[in-house]
Amino acid sequence: MSLVGIIANPASGKDIRRLVAFGSVFGNQEKVRIVRRVLLGLVAVGVERICYMPDYFGIVERALDHIKVPATIFPANFSLKGSQEDSVRAARIMREKGATCIVTIGGDGTNRAVVKGSGAAPILPISTGTNNVFPSMVEGTIAGLAAGLIAMKRVPLDESTFLSTKLEVLVNGNVVDLALVDVVVCDDLFVGSRAVWDMDKVRQIFLNQAQPDSIGLSSIGGLIHPINAEEPLSLCLELGDGGRPVTAPVAPGIIKQVFIKGQRIMQMGDEIAVSVVPSILALDGEREVEIRPGQQVAIRLEKDGPVVVDVKQTMTAAMKNGSLLR
Amino acid sequence: MANMSFAQALNDAHKLEMERDPNIYVAGEDVGVYGGIFGVTAGLLDQFTDKRVRDTPITESAIVGTAVGAAAAGLRPVIELMFVDFIGVAFDQLYNQAAKMKYMFGGKAKLPLVMRACCGAGIGAAAQHSQCLEAWFMHVPGLKVVMPSTPYDAKGLLISSIRDDNPVVFLEHKLLYGMEGEVPEEAYTIPLGQADIKREGQDVTVVATAQMVNLSLSVAEKLSGDGISAEVVDPRTLSPLDEETILESVRKTHRLVIVHEEVKFAGSGAEIAAMVAEKAFDYLDAPIIRVAAPFTPVPFSPTLEAEFIPNEDKIIQAVKTVTGNPNVA
Amino acid sequence: MSLTNEQMIGMYANMKKIRMFEEQVAELFAAGKIPGFVHLYVGEEAVATGVCANLREDDYITSTHRGHGHLISKGGDIKLMMAELLGKKTGYCKGKGGSMHIADLDLGILGANGIVGGGPPLASGAALASQYQGKDLVTVCFFGDGAANQGTTHEAMNLATCWKLPVVFVNENNMYGISSCTLNSMCVADIADRAAAYDMPGVVVDGNDVVAVYEAASEALRQAREGEGPSLIECKTYRHKGHFEGDPCVYRNEEELQEWKAKDPVLRFEKKLLDMQVLAREKIDEIKDSIEKDLAKAVSFAEESPFPDPSEIIEDVYTP
Ligand SMILES: Cc1ncc(C[n+]2csc(CCOP(=O)(O)OP(=O)(O)O)c2C)c(N)n1
Ligand SMILES: [Mg+2]
Repeated sequence: MSLVGIIANPASGKDIRRLVAFGSVFGNQEKVRIVRRVLLGLVAVGVERICYMPDYFGIVERALDHIKVPATIFPANFSLKGSQEDSVRAARIMREKGATCIVTIGGDGTNRAVVKGSGAAPILPISTGTNNVFPSMVEGTIAGLAAGLIAMKRVPLDESTFLSTKLEVLVNGNVVDLALVDVVVCDDLFVGSRAVWDMDKVRQIFLNQAQPDSIGLSSIGGLIHPINAEEPLSLCLELGDGGRPVTAPVAPGIIKQVFIKGQRIMQMGDEIAVSVVPSILALDGEREVEIRPGQQVAIRLEKDGPVVVDVKQTMTAAMKNGSLLR
Repeated sequence: MANMSFAQALNDAHKLEMERDPNIYVAGEDVGVYGGIFGVTAGLLDQFTDKRVRDTPITESAIVGTAVGAAAAGLRPVIELMFVDFIGVAFDQLYNQAAKMKYMFGGKAKLPLVMRACCGAGIGAAAQHSQCLEAWFMHVPGLKVVMPSTPYDAKGLLISSIRDDNPVVFLEHKLLYGMEGEVPEEAYTIPLGQADIKREGQDVTVVATAQMVNLSLSVAEKLSGDGISAEVVDPRTLSPLDEETILESVRKTHRLVIVHEEVKFAGSGAEIAAMVAEKAFDYLDAPIIRVAAPFTPVPFSPTLEAEFIPNEDKIIQAVKTVTGNPNVA
Repeated sequence: MSLTNEQMIGMYANMKKIRMFEEQVAELFAAGKIPGFVHLYVGEEAVATGVCANLREDDYITSTHRGHGHLISKGGDIKLMMAELLGKKTGYCKGKGGSMHIADLDLGILGANGIVGGGPPLASGAALASQYQGKDLVTVCFFGDGAANQGTTHEAMNLATCWKLPVVFVNENNMYGISSCTLNSMCVADIADRAAAYDMPGVVVDGNDVVAVYEAASEALRQAREGEGPSLIECKTYRHKGHFEGDPCVYRNEEELQEWKAKDPVLRFEKKLLDMQVLAREKIDEIKDSIEKDLAKAVSFAEESPFPDPSEIIEDVYTP
């Protein structure tokens, strides 16, 4: 029987970017409404089992309050920590239970956590937070239909999904973390309020995805050398005085001139050393990893990132094979 | 009869009344899981569930206001305000809404609600957690104001307050919660508006409320050794006030001392004194004396708090002054 | 906006000072030397510290019943605080206020407050005064998750944005208002969500991370100071102690407490500064020793000070 996972992050869309930039305000009520639409989309194409991540706000439970969903819906069972760790554990449980699609509702950070646990299960990322590159703004109902079609194997996977690459963080030779969009090296000592907005501190940027029309630091690369998520390439930029100027939307409402001193294309498997130690690495927009004095740190491009559902392609495939023409 | 503390007697009143009438609900901050900050509502949540024992957010205005609305719509709320000092946050709901509804609406509304709160100094809780504010409530037509001084009275008066169809402000002096006494196990009522003569005497009437009743009784005992016979009257209900019991006592003793913990200026004693002056002036052999707190906020420091609260010496001195006793200190 | 080593060490020392002060107060309370109620700030030190590190001496704060940490962070003198807690004549309020009412108007501290939700309107009012007088001062309003449900808090926030007042509302969400857990007392999980209703920015930060608090406060205060209006910062934190000293804590479990103790803001920052080689062990010991000495002085000052004379009771009710 088909199983779809839902991971909605109650904490996304509330961080300091609403203060230091003009980030969107995304309340949990709206997440509840998105989940409601996703659920209705899922059951409309016949999904029978839905496993969700519990959270301290109760997004999915609240979504269920107002609708009737003819499917078995149950929480992933673990004790909540109220942190990113919850998303990792929920994804792992969903994968183990055989989920054939996981819908995420959150930002880049949420998806980064989910990918740590989701393995080969396709994920369908719906954007909520600010500054997002990995997930897209997609209507919940359509996302639900698409996830259902994928989970029920009613559309061919190769037409409707793609395999993303990822960046790995190596500290003293060991992989300690990953990023889906970007790794930003900040000349800083603290994770602090997590977001990155002070461009004076940014020294080096590794981009797994870079589009000219995206928001955030990955736009810098996008304006120089665009790269798609599934392309087996990454871009490494060195920032600093005297470099080539680029005017980029580094955060919502914040357009800044930055200076590129050097750029390098990374091929699959390439490793580049982090140039500033000690420092803080921001992964997919959040300061995350502290690099201590004396540590050897490198970033490597790897191939087996998440399988990502492309909603438009999925619906197009459904159109082609008539899945919804009944 | 059982030996119960003042707090237990109140607890018992809640329990018996809630068993009797399913329309009674209890609400307030920390009344459920915590059982009330002074333990008065302990155990009620287990027995009556969270439908009837409702822990609220910190939201006095809504605690009082919802009780008013619920009472108007047929329930009998018993709410706890915790410290009476917090009434400021919620006063409109009480004096503009609850108190006036019946009158404004031409007599149609019925407002059976009890608002309980602790009051009084003596534990170093300072200016915003130690006040006695009974005069504020007495000044509002439409409210009843109850202030017991013993476990027995507490239980009987609370039951009457709950059964009363008017908004009742029920004030509990926090130093009394631990006081023990004999209390019947079954439900019983003490009519609102009925004073109690706590000790009979011939030479002077001492009208006292709450904790001051106990102080006055102790003073009366001591003064009996000096040949002064003091009658101690506890109004128990300040509004409506049992004027007749007080007047009768004054007509007998010809002297009146009023003791309360509120500030003296415009306190409840002012009303009692004025009432006696109006209705029994000819019986008085001496000016009325009020023993009450000075006109200051309640101070924190132990030395100042002790100075603030009326004490036995001050009561003795007042009694000796009105009785013309030569041994005045 | 980079923190210098000196600032970081200053913030560490401030947190440590609050922690040690509170532990001392707990001891004195247990020994029966402090009358009334004391509400300790243990576990929440990063909030007051990170916020007040951005304030000038003439900026204002409003505080709460859990105010010792705010006072210390705004520059309050622990000798005068200690004397006040013991009800002494030499205390901040001449013994008239006690723990719940300590204030130092010379430092812009508009008082601890015994009324939950009493502070926010005062904060908007102080901010109004600064705006009115054309001064570039800001006011910080510390308030609890419990206070977030009081009408006064909402009224103050609404007026603050209507009038674009230079005030920053800092919510200390320690998950409880006495026994009532935020899960039962509000239907939003994040108090910051409510900011949208008043058209002000609202953000959530890790209230046990002093740098996170500092960063958010720094930006919010800059905006307020430059006339861009108020904001709301919600700091997620936890109190290690009971609501007041003597609280049996029947409403929460040991496991939760231990989880939060593992995120102890003081230890966490200490460890980070050590790891990052900003601070050496010896320096930590030095800081501790110096606080210990100051505390010992504060305690003996308080204990040796006289109680107010009963005749002082009527002083200071009115301004002549
Ligand atoms: C108006 C008012 N209502 C109730 C109280 C009693 N009281 C004192 S502190 C407190 C809890 C406050 O909770 P919160 O605002 O979260 O602050 P915390 O104690 O957690 O720091 C309550 C209910 C009060 N002092 N004032
Ligand atoms: Mg709290």
